[in-house]
Amino acid sequence: MTSRTVIERVTYDKTIGIVNNNPLGRGFAHPIDIAERNGELYVLNKHPGFTRVGVCTYQEEYLREYGTYGHGDGQFWLPTGVAVNADGYTFVCDEFHNNVTVFGISGEFLEKWGEEGSDVGQFGGPSGIAIANNGNILVVDQNNNRIQEFQTDGTHVRSWGESGNEIGQLNQPWGICIGKDESIYVADWGNDRVQQFDSQGTPLKIFGGPSENGGCLHRPSKPAVDSDGYLYVSDWGNEAVKIYSPSGQFIQSLRGEATLSKWAQEFLDANPDESSQRDISDLMPELPSHFNTPYLISTQIESYFWGPSSVLVGEDNRLYVVESSRHRIQIYELL
Amino acid sequence: MVTVGNVTEGRSLMAHLIRRTGFGATQSELDRLEKLDYNKVVDQLLNPTESNHLSDDLVFRYHTEVHEQRGGPWSAKQWLYRMVTTETPIVEKMALFWHGIFATGYAKTNQARALSVQIDMFRRFGLGKFDVLLEELSKDPAMIIWLDNQDNHSGAINENFGREILELFSMGIGNYTEEDIKECSRAFTGWTLKNAEYMSVRAMKDSIWPYGRISWHYEYRDEDHDHGEKTFLGETGNFNGSDIVSIISKQRATATFISRHLYDFFVADEVPVPQWPYTPPRDPEAIETLADAYMSNGHDLTEVLRVLLKSDFFKDSCYERIKCPAEYVAGCLRVSNSIIKPTMLMNEAVNVMEYMGQTLLNPPSVEGWHEGTEWINSGSIVERVNFAYEVWRNSGSLEVKDITARLSVSGDLRPEEAVQSCLKFMGPLELTEDSARNAIVDHVSKKGPIKFGDCTGEMMADAEERVAEILALIAASKEYQRA
Repeated sequence: MTSRTVIERVTYDKTIGIVNNNPLGRGFAHPIDIAERNGELYVLNKHPGFTRVGVCTYQEEYLREYGTYGHGDGQFWLPTGVAVNADGYTFVCDEFHNNVTVFGISGEFLEKWGEEGSDVGQFGGPSGIAIANNGNILVVDQNNNRIQEFQTDGTHVRSWGESGNEIGQLNQPWGICIGKDESIYVADWGNDRVQQFDSQGTPLKIFGGPSENGGCLHRPSKPAVDSDGYLYVSDWGNEAVKIYSPSGQFIQSLRGEATLSKWAQEFLDANPDESSQRDISDLMPELPSHFNTPYLISTQIESYFWGPSSVLVGEDNRLYVVESSRHRIQIYELL
Repeated sequence: MVTVGNVTEGRSLMAHLIRRTGFGATQSELDRLEKLDYNKVVDQLLNPTESNHLSDDLVFRYHTEVHEQRGGPWSAKQWLYRMVTTETPIVEKMALFWHGIFATGYAKTNQARALSVQIDMFRRFGLGKFDVLLEELSKDPAMIIWLDNQDNHSGAINENFGREILELFSMGIGNYTEEDIKECSRAFTGWTLKNAEYMSVRAMKDSIWPYGRISWHYEYRDEDHDHGEKTFLGETGNFNGSDIVSIISKQRATATFISRHLYDFFVADEVPVPQWPYTPPRDPEAIETLADAYMSNGHDLTEVLRVLLKSDFFKDSCYERIKCPAEYVAGCLRVSNSIIKPTMLMNEAVNVMEYMGQTLLNPPSVEGWHEGTEWINSGSIVERVNFAYEVWRNSGSLEVKDITARLSVSGDLRPEEAVQSCLKFMGPLELTEDSARNAIVDHVSKKGPIKFGDCTGEMMADAEERVAEILALIAASKEYQRA
């Protein structure tokens, strides 16, 4: 048996966010995806009734928001993915409306395209979206088990992928990201893996899988890749983040270690009755045996990831992990 | 495969069994069950293996809020998915049974996740030995907060849980004294939850900050337990809560009380529980039979149910119960085979149960719901009729397609034949008032006979539409409100 030296790729930095139980204002309401442009974080919120894109910074400045809940223009019902292009346009896919909504640089509604179906340009629950290096829009067409590429105005360019569990096939894929080398990484959710494709959709490599080793994945939601080609996967079903080398070797697993964000601390400062009790509570308790899955454990341990729905490698060389059920983002420094 | 012909007695009995132990059966399920021995089916039902159901992963991905379960309706939605799609519906039915008796609600706990954990506990222990279930209930964090046992301290007891475990959860009023309540409460001092003080503050303020709820779990604090001698129901000792549970569970009064609840839920509607001390059971002999089974089988609830489900009083009790809203809604969705993937329809289904008078995981009080005919009033019946009509009217549902295919075997049908046949598929059910039956037949007659044509053509699609409408009208009948 050979031993392997584990080299950590990231180290915990800080947490941003707080649960927001309103349709407006700072904080997050079931954040589901994240994008970045010029140091601004675009956080897509999926909470029924409170859907929106909220824009904030690493320093927890809350800047603005746009998009609301509903069926009209600029409104979402089940928004699942957000991407921002180099011109500052925001693209949001909605798996209920089966469309992509486009917002301008100030958050104004511009257009929407797509409809339910399985023909070219139609969607079956679009669940992830990314900007290709050539500026085109890539949409994960979840229930049609394919990736569709569009120009920014919604003109269809190409589609690839089909249902199955062989190489190149997909099973209800979720999130998507693009590498510096134009590779396309897709969270192949139902197959418990991430697949890497070239820009034309030719399969290149598989990461994870359902096996029992440390690098296995269970229902991964989103990949992110850094400039060195390291892959970060929000391993949604395992309530974890897995990190792989460019060659596909598993190198690190994260379970989450959230601390109080600036907004969280401000809340506790304003509520000393809760703060004082929190200070003397054991928030890492030993759990009864029936809390026996990562999901159930995450319901109990506040600092652990709970619903890691998206990851992003930021322009600032930080890893952002979005947790839909804890309404926050844990941030790690890339080493 | 049953088509339009007469429904056999065995098929009717199986349909009755599955309505009571589950949420109703589809025609293909009845095809399978009809060929089996009734007693063997009962034995299989009472030995549920690990349940398949629509995957939580799928539900959680689609309904992000159900993944978190911060709000009561979000947890209720997950439970409803289970009721509708599980392969072991008796597990969910028992959970619903115990939820009605050990009624714990969101209104005070402000912790939907803890309520889900409690329901899961009912799944694990609801068909086992009553002693074990009652002890687990006493350790259940939602119950602890619901009945203030975190405030029950050595030297300063809070009697809330001590009273209700006797009055509502096991023996019923009139079978214990006020002194027993105090001694019982003393025995449960120190039974609290981890970080009780922080969690109490959060529950009291309904605080979700900073990062949503933190689920609860039980903690025993020996230093807060009253270790003194206690006298309870005539026995004396240094009792802890577990001893109290053992003493309660062996009482004949407990056997009778739980048996009457089982009769009420599985056999025929009884009067509401507060009237039990003054109103004898509907079938005293049946209650005695069930209580005997409880006492002679080590308080094993599966054995009590086995006696119940194989009894003549059960077999003769078709349509003697009003479906509670959860049974009605889950039954419509399940039997129509409408839920094969996560859908927004479940949001409506959870809401409509509330309009019908039953907010799952939020009973009106620790007494639970008053059931039977009290479910039906002028408002709730409109909600029931509208929901059932909407679900069954969907000609795309798998069950509507299946029933239409079965009907088509006999060729084109006159309206009265079509209605009569659909009544067989929906129960079998008989409409007690000719006026109701005639109204449906008249409505169907407006478009003449139902013609099927070949199995794939436009005519078949039209037939599915018309059959769906007949099924929807039957589902809106007063007879369909009963199980």
